[in-house]
Order: sequence, then C-alpha cells, then structure tokens
Amino acid sequence: MALPAFAIYSFLYLYPSISNLWNSTKRWDGVLPPEFIGARNFTYLATNDDLFLKVVGNNFRFAFVVVILQTTFSLLFATFLLNNTKTTIFLRVVYFFPTILSSVSVGLIWLFLYNPNYGLINATAKSIGIMKEPGINWLGDGRYALYAIAITQVWFHTGQMVVIYVAGLQQIPAELYEAAEVDGASRWQQFKSITWPMALPTTAVVVAYTTIQSFRAFDLVYAMTQGGPNNASDVLVTLIYNTAFASYKFGYASAQSVLLVVTVLLITWLQRRTLRVNYGDR
Amino acid sequence: MKTKGLSTFASLRAGVVALVASALVITPLAVAHAADAPTFGKACTTEGVSTGQKTTSLICQTGANGKLTWQRVRLGGSYAAPVGSLTPPKGTIEFHHWRGEDKVVLQGIIDKFQAKYPGTFINQVIMTSGDYGNLALTKISANPKAAVFVTMRGGQFGNFYKAGMLKDLTSQRYTKQNFIQSALTPGTVDGRIYGLPYQSLFNNPIYNAELFTKNGWKVPTTWSQTLAFCKTAKAAGYIPFAWPGATRGNAGQILNSFMMNSAPYATVLKNATDIDTGKADLTIDWFTNIAKQYKQMADAGCFPANATGYTDTVAPADFAAGKAAIYPTGTFGMSSVTKLNPDMKGKMKIMGLITTDAKPYYEGITNNTFILSVNAKASASDQRIANAFISFLATAPIAQEYAVGTSQHVSVIDVDYSANIDLLNTSDIMGKKLLLAPRFLFLNQGVVRDKLEDALIAIVGGADITKTLADTSKIIKQGLGA
Repeated sequence: MALPAFAIYSFLYLYPSISNLWNSTKRWDGVLPPEFIGARNFTYLATNDDLFLKVVGNNFRFAFVVVILQTTFSLLFATFLLNNTKTTIFLRVVYFFPTILSSVSVGLIWLFLYNPNYGLINATAKSIGIMKEPGINWLGDGRYALYAIAITQVWFHTGQMVVIYVAGLQQIPAELYEAAEVDGASRWQQFKSITWPMALPTTAVVVAYTTIQSFRAFDLVYAMTQGGPNNASDVLVTLIYNTAFASYKFGYASAQSVLLVVTVLLITWLQRRTLRVNYGDR
Repeated sequence: MKTKGLSTFASLRAGVVALVASALVITPLAVAHAADAPTFGKACTTEGVSTGQKTTSLICQTGANGKLTWQRVRLGGSYAAPVGSLTPPKGTIEFHHWRGEDKVVLQGIIDKFQAKYPGTFINQVIMTSGDYGNLALTKISANPKAAVFVTMRGGQFGNFYKAGMLKDLTSQRYTKQNFIQSALTPGTVDGRIYGLPYQSLFNNPIYNAELFTKNGWKVPTTWSQTLAFCKTAKAAGYIPFAWPGATRGNAGQILNSFMMNSAPYATVLKNATDIDTGKADLTIDWFTNIAKQYKQMADAGCFPANATGYTDTVAPADFAAGKAAIYPTGTFGMSSVTKLNPDMKGKMKIMGLITTDAKPYYEGITNNTFILSVNAKASASDQRIANAFISFLATAPIAQEYAVGTSQHVSVIDVDYSANIDLLNTSDIMGKKLLLAPRFLFLNQGVVRDKLEDALIAIVGGADITKTLADTSKIIKQGLGA
C-alpha cells in the first residue's frame, strides 16, 4: 500500500532534493556541462560571500517580525472570533479573504499604499500631521523596505492563522472559563491562565508554519522590491532565484538552497525542543 | 545614423534619416525647390542627410570623385529589393517572447500569417520581461515546439548561442535583403547571423514638447544646461525627469547616456569590460565620475521626490498627466504614455541626455533588440515554419503594422512610420550620432550590471558615493568569484 505513495513522494520530492544536493557540488551555468568541484561552493559561501551573509541576516529579521506580529494578531483576532455567531463567522471570512488573493495582486495593492508620493499611508499620515514632506520612502529606503514587506506578509497571512487558532481555541473546555468566572477571574487572568497555556500547541504549529513561510518568502518580495534597494530587502529565496536565473550560477544557487533547508530544519528542531521543554513529552 | 559599439551602423557614414523624417524635412524642401531635389549622382551639401530608410532612398556622401553627391542608400546586404515571405509547411509552433503589450498587434499579424498559409499555426507564449530574462533559456531549451523565439541583446543572446539553441540564418535571403544590415550585429557571432533584432529602440529621454513650449524652456544640450533646466522646471512645480528609481530595469536606461560621453568609446569599452570581468573596481575614476553626475542630478532636483521609491508605473503616469517634463527611458515607453493619456499623442519628442559641456562623442543611444531566432533544436518542419514566420515579419507591410501598432521603430527596410505621429516625431534621432546602448557591455547581468545600477540608485537616494562603490565592488568581485 505504501509503495505507490513512496514512489510519488520519491519522484516529486526525494529526487529533486537529492538532485539539488548533487548540483550543489558543481560549477554549472545551466548551459555548458557542469564541473564537479566538491564542497567548494559551500566553503566559498561560508568565507567569501558577504551578500549571502547579509541576506541571511535580512531573512532572520524578516522572520522575527513576521512571526511575532502574525502570531500576536492571529491569536488576538481568534479570541474575539471564538463564538460561532453570524458576525464572527462573517469577520472570519473577512480576515481570511487576503489569503485567497494572488500574491502579485497583494504586492501591487501594497505598492500603491506604500507609494511615497501618492500612496494612502503617507497621504493619511501627512493629512493628520504626523508625517512631514517628503514622507517616508517605505520601499525605496533600505532602512524600511524589509519591514514594510514584512507588514504586508502579516496582512496577507494572518487570516490563515486566525482560522488555525479558532480551531485550536474551540477545543478548550468551556467549563474551565465557567469555573474561572465563578472564582472571579478577570478576562486577562482567564487569558493568562487558561487560553494561553491551552493554546500553546496551536501556537507551536502557527509559529513553526509562519517561520517556514518567512524563510520561503519570495513572491511578495519579488513583486514589491525585487530585493532592493541595494539588496536591503533580499531574502534567501530571492537571492537563490537571482543567483540561478540572473547570474546563471546554478551549482552555487543549489548550495545556497541546501543551506536554506539546513537553516529551516535547525529552527524547526529548536522549536520542537522548546515545545518539549514546555510540555514534557505530552 | 552614426553609431558605434558591438553593433555598428558605420556602413552609413552619417545619419540615415527615416522615411518619416524625410517626409517632414526633405520632401517639403524638394517641393519648394524642385531644382534642388535630391537626384542620384548630383551634388549635395549636407553630408549624412538622406531621403529616407528605403531601398530607393538617397544619401549625401563623399563619392569616388571626393565630392559630396547623392548616392543610393544601401541598407541591406546588397542593393537587391526585399523579398516576400517563405511558404511554410503545415503544423503548429510556439512563438516565445516578453512583449505582453504587443500581444494584440502580434496576434493580428499571426492571424494574417495563418490566413495566408492555412494549416499553419503560431501560438504566442508570453512572459514578463523579468521572467523572460531569467527563465527563457531553461524553458525554451526543454521545449522544441518553441521553434521561434526572441532574445535580449547581450548576455541572454550569448547564453542561447552557447547552449546551441540558435539556427544560423546568415544565408536566408530575407536576412540579407529585408533587414538593415548595420542593425544585425547584436545577433551576429563570428560573422554568422543567428538572430535578427526586430526592434530599433532609442533609449533616450522623451520630453513633453507642449510643456516645453508653454514654459519657454529649451531642450538642454549640455550638462550645465541640463542641471539648470532641472532647477527651472522644479521651481515651476514640475518633475524635471520622471526617473523610475524603484524599478532597476528602466532606471538603468539613463546609464547609457551617462556612459556614452564619459570617455572615448574605446575607453568606455575597456572600463566596462574590466569591471565586468573583475579586473577593475567601481571605484575607478571613470565610474566614480558617473556616480558623481548622478548625485549632481539628484542635488539639482532633477529627480522626483523619494526617487528610489518612484516606480515605473508612476513615472509614465506623471509624464502623461503633464506633471513631469521628461520621461527618461526611451521610445519604447511612448505607447504606455499614450495609453494613459491619448492626448499625449503627437506631443512627445526625443532628446539626447548630454552629460558633458565639451563636444559630445555621441548625441544619443540606440539599441537593437527583440532578436528573432529559430530554435536549432526544433524539428526540421517546425524550423521551416519558424523561418517562414520570421520572413513574414520581415516584409515591410507587416513590419510597418507592427511598428505603427506598437510605437516601435524596426530594423526592417522600407517601413513607413508616417501613420504613427509619435514614431514620426521621434525619428529625427536616427539622423544623429548614436551609440549602441553601452549599458549592455556589462554582460554579467546578475552579478555586475544589476549590482552597479543598484549602487547608482542608492547614491541618488543619498548613500555615500565612496562607500557605496567600494562595498558594491566587493560584492561584485565576490559574485564573480563564486
């Protein structure tokens, strides 16, 4: 029974992964025959590639912002949308709506919002007097571009996480809240002592998923800044894409993607360890 | 048209003014002074002036007697007349390209081809230019049905050639007789022609002539005048140059102008090649001076506010709305401007961005791109269809339909641009001394060109010149070594 599944898995996942690993040991421009160079791509990445290190740093900052904001907002919204009333169901649909949009459309919408001269954000901020001319150059200034995209990513995917949280929070027995109310616990105390601890398994899923999503980020970055200005918003996948398809260094790009996989594996492992610390081995 | 570069229009000693220009300038002159009408073999006075871009056109050149006389323009490989299209076998092939904005016009042409040759079908496969630049080779090399495709000048064409994807088109009659030979160099390797650049672009700033007249501005022809113009236009409330600094591809168009008069061409070629191969850093005087001029333009208020966040959707919109005086990309940008504001039809003209106060080496930029090729890995039958389709595109009426419909000048002989007022108004650039877009001398797009253009954009955004160039040089060298 398992054989067909294994065959499909091998064809779709195992073969490309092993092929990528093998390619990472080659110098290959995608045109001429590849040349085997052992671990040289990896040693060069580790010792000679400042851009790669910069982009790794970018990606960690991006993931940090997205994970914190997306987890916080989705938990917050989910607690308000827990009951199955017509209004909450409607709001869940509203929050989920961005998730079904294409990422390029989302990128274009936010490009307009962030436009420094005509965009809604700067125009609003200027009109209420909290921003001076010429306004903030959200995507054109290296200090802001990465964070501006991170906020877009949060807007794009929070609804998805709200749904996961709602499903998780609805598993918490209502009796616990009833008992807490009888004991005179405030809403905050109920959240701190019941909701948060009981929601931790869901939080672990949300954090793990959001982290992986952040390290796989490509489409929004590509649509909004293409990694600019001057690589300030480049993340690992945009760098890998450009290394392969703009610089025609397929072997080197394969090595970069191997390191991306290792990074994501390490983070996921660390998160699982943290989960065990909090829950024993439940 | 005097040009120099990887491709050269040097076979024409001076400018070949398009048929359009002749309609505007030469013909009225001839009507007014019939006795002075250009006549083959008769004396002429202005070297380089021609009566058009046709096989029947005349050009004023020094003859065998050492005197200026009207001689026949030889645009093709011979004086032979252009040929008609080849007859294809039945079948279906794909035509891969990146010009989504030309889809409708090209489909009209394809429909005509299919109607002329029943049983033969061409399907357009279009990607965005960014994706095409990155993915076309991978996709087309795995797809023999992609029998006809285009490449961009420089690195992409070179990679397709290295991959053995390009069929030799040198011996085709339409190659020799239908195309302006001097436009073919970007598709030529070791004397053999593997690609036919269909478009003749002029990557020079387009200006709003009506706005200039209304404000009494003169088109700047020196560097000092350019900076002074920026201050004047800005003070009057206009964006002097709607420069799309957020979009690397179009922001980089002005680099061509900065390079063309930065040094004699041999020096430009050497410096660009040295940077491209890692022999020189961006910190060399030549490139540092270019960076300083970008900064000077920024300081003079030439660029819009928040220029590094100013996209190439906002730039043509501002230009089309009359908020900006100059749209510094090229003739290829005119169609999007008129789509945004049809009233702009006939109001756009073209200028050279001159970055020196000394006598310029060149007056403008040209580029021959949208290089048509036949897939060497397609079946013989599909190659014949592809060949026939290119020959069809290379006939004057079809090329004219494409040119007029898309507002692009083309490299095909005997095309009449008079049906498109914007092509007509910008054709005068053909008579100037042009350089083949030198930005593409940086063949390593991802590692070198993108990085150095990003550095220039950052400098406009306020980054320190010395530090930015040093940091970018390091990244470039590391990238080249990987």
